[in-house]
Amino acid sequence: MAESRLHRLSLIVLGAITVLGAAAVVFVVRSGEVWSATLFWAIAIAGMHYLSVPTPSGKHINLAIGPAVAAAILLPSTLAVMAAYSVGLVGGWAVLRWRSNTDRDADSDYVAESISMVAFGVVASSGLTGLSGSSLPLAWEQLLSVIVGGSVWFVLRALVSAWVGTERDDLASRYLWLLALEDWTVALAIFTGGALFGMTWPLMGIWAFPVAILPYAFSHLAFVRYDSTRITYGQMIRALAQIPEVADLAPRGHSTRTADLAVSMAREIGLHPNEVTELEYAALMHDVGRITLTEPAILKAGYTDEDIARWGAQIIAEAPYLQEVSEYVRVQHSPFRRPGEALDPDVPMISKIIKVASAYDQAVHEMHLSPLEGLERIHRGSAYDFDPEVSASLRRVLAQRGVIAA
Amino acid sequence: MSRAAVQRQHRAKIQLAAGLGALGVAVLAALFWLQPFPDQVWLWALFTVAFVYFEWNAVEVNDRLFASPSIMVLLTAAVAIGPESAMLGVATMAALGAVVPADIQQRRWFQPIANFGQMTVTAALSTGTLVAVLMLPGPGSAAGFEQADLWRIAVGSALAASVYGVVQYRLVLFAVSRVYGRLEVRPWSHIGAILLPMTGMGFLGGLLGATYLVIGTAALPLIAVVFFVGYMAFESYARLREAQESTIRGFIKALEAKDLYTRGHTERVARFTEMIGKQMGFDGTQLERLRWAALIHDVGKLAVPRELIRKRSRLTDEEHETMQTHVHFVEELLEEVDFLQPMIEIASNHHAHYDGNGYHGTGHEHGDMPSKEACILAVADTFDAITSTRSYRVALTQPYAYAELRRHAGSQFDPEVVEAFIEGMENSGHRYGSKVELTDEEARDIAEEGLEAIRVADQIHGRDFPLAPIAKDVDNG
Repeated sequence: MAESRLHRLSLIVLGAITVLGAAAVVFVVRSGEVWSATLFWAIAIAGMHYLSVPTPSGKHINLAIGPAVAAAILLPSTLAVMAAYSVGLVGGWAVLRWRSNTDRDADSDYVAESISMVAFGVVASSGLTGLSGSSLPLAWEQLLSVIVGGSVWFVLRALVSAWVGTERDDLASRYLWLLALEDWTVALAIFTGGALFGMTWPLMGIWAFPVAILPYAFSHLAFVRYDSTRITYGQMIRALAQIPEVADLAPRGHSTRTADLAVSMAREIGLHPNEVTELEYAALMHDVGRITLTEPAILKAGYTDEDIARWGAQIIAEAPYLQEVSEYVRVQHSPFRRPGEALDPDVPMISKIIKVASAYDQAVHEMHLSPLEGLERIHRGSAYDFDPEVSASLRRVLAQRGVIAA
Repeated sequence: MSRAAVQRQHRAKIQLAAGLGALGVAVLAALFWLQPFPDQVWLWALFTVAFVYFEWNAVEVNDRLFASPSIMVLLTAAVAIGPESAMLGVATMAALGAVVPADIQQRRWFQPIANFGQMTVTAALSTGTLVAVLMLPGPGSAAGFEQADLWRIAVGSALAASVYGVVQYRLVLFAVSRVYGRLEVRPWSHIGAILLPMTGMGFLGGLLGATYLVIGTAALPLIAVVFFVGYMAFESYARLREAQESTIRGFIKALEAKDLYTRGHTERVARFTEMIGKQMGFDGTQLERLRWAALIHDVGKLAVPRELIRKRSRLTDEEHETMQTHVHFVEELLEEVDFLQPMIEIASNHHAHYDGNGYHGTGHEHGDMPSKEACILAVADTFDAITSTRSYRVALTQPYAYAELRRHAGSQFDPEVVEAFIEGMENSGHRYGSKVELTDEEARDIAEEGLEAIRVADQIHGRDFPLAPIAKDVDNG
């Protein structure tokens, strides 16, 4: 449902750009402006849609905005810029379709990237026109226009992709907005490359290529490595969290399912992306304390859920980078509110989400209740055991997944 | 380490620091006499701040590829400042970057003084190369960088960066081998790996300096972004890697803490394997792989029932089988972690014998010779098992462990690895295992005392894992 709407939207944007582009191209050709340079930049923009960089948020930014920045500096008029952008974006649509695994990713990327690129072009090139004739040196005029246009681009891109993402995945727009803002380092690197090229090309000739590309290439290498390390770190936590399950001390698959459900709920609620990652780690490892159950002395003395949470937290706390995660695991069983007492503000949202996700998974997979009965159990426990806000989120997530009727 | 060795090291440090420090001061004095200080002091100061920041926050990346972008800053500064004061400007910059606050805080005097000399000399020589390339008669030569051909700037700064790399490497190599002996130098002996990226960084740095010359101050924010983004990207990558390693270390430490007998085992085995690797001339990447293999080699054991690990009497065949499956547990647990795959191969073969007997990991058959790394891990693991207390016996002495390793060299262990281990161990001067030959009675008493001490320590640290008591009937077997 949302998907076809998204596809329609991307076609509308594409149509608008085509119309705009056709008009601009006609105008550029008729006014006898430099159509060869315009065509060059159009091809560069279309081609760069093929390349993308992984960002810290786990998404990708495609490189088309790099040549777009250079084009805005080098092309002589706003119209020529618009002509290059629109032809480039129409070509880029084809490139994205061709390289992307799924159409819906291509659609949503395309909508966000193209709207913000056009906005950048308008702001930056009219800024350049407006500033020309001022007492500033030319290079500063160019730089200031790019900075202002770039800020507009960045905010608009984050807004549109948050909005598009809400359409696509039913995630909280706050979460997606924060996620898009995480990408600023990568965006900065791409913009700097484009600006360096645009500013040095008339003065340095072909030497502008290494100047623009090398800094970007070095950081690209680092971003790619960062991305792969981020993935293997996740894999490692997942593996360590499975020790109790491999040793038959905990039901198989419980921690993975709990983490999966908890992450969906956290995104639906709109936690910060960094918190979502911590929640994922905490949920994966919430039962790691069970590894202690190989100890005959403990089995003899008996133990409670709180003991397991505490032992788990102690194990996790030995890792210096997981202090917060260990705290979430320690308090995972804290009730939302004790009868007759005020709300406990110290119980973090993350722990409350894990508590609900784990209880629901237990109900469905160990007690073999139906999803609706499982949800019913959680709802019965709301207000004292479980946070009503989290229970409501569980209901929405289950409805989105089609497990229960909406 | 013996007292004589410590004194010798101390003397070598004093000589080196004095020599390098004096050299640095002499170079600086000569440059002050030869060249005027850069007339745009603010520009010099900007680059100095960037350079000092990068030097103080150098990123540790295991393959040393992108250790720090500071060489880029040096060459951008050299080109931007101009040839008439480039050498002095860059040498003073390098001198300031040499003194790292961490050294001062930890009251290390040798490192900062030696670094000061080393970096001043390196920076002066490399900037000198750049200036020489620009001044060389021929097409495009000119007095100032503004008129110089961009070719000359590009080639000159690439050359300057490789000079920087080679001189710095030679000086560090000299210093390290003088103070610590030849052994410690080995992981450093791959200059090719650092030279190429350094040349690339220098090339880029010089061109960035040229952008300042052609477009003026508006280039500075862009140059700053290039420095910053490059640094940020590598810094966050390095931090994440560190997080990854410290997480697995912490986890294993915590899990071992429950069990008196395996406590600290993994850390020690990691130390031993690294030592053997160095002794056998492994490079940085190989050493890292070995360290990771050692860290994960016993992860599987965490999933084996405690009673079995602690069992005092001989294991039945069935129990023995269960015990050996920990090799497969590690494979199962970590199969999803892509980058650990080569290390898992090493770890799962650490019970395989040199002659092809023993217990192999998946994909290897009886009769296969285990890899060199697996042999190293086997020796380190066995040595630690012999020299620490087990549930069925107390710790044995180091000479006994040596004899045991040598006795099985050629069958269970790789003889080359055994000798490398013993030589490395003797060089390091560390002692493990029981200090004296004890009767069983005495050994048990000592072990009980040790256990009590650990219990007290646990109480202080708030750990409340129960510990099993020492086995009552100890047999030396």
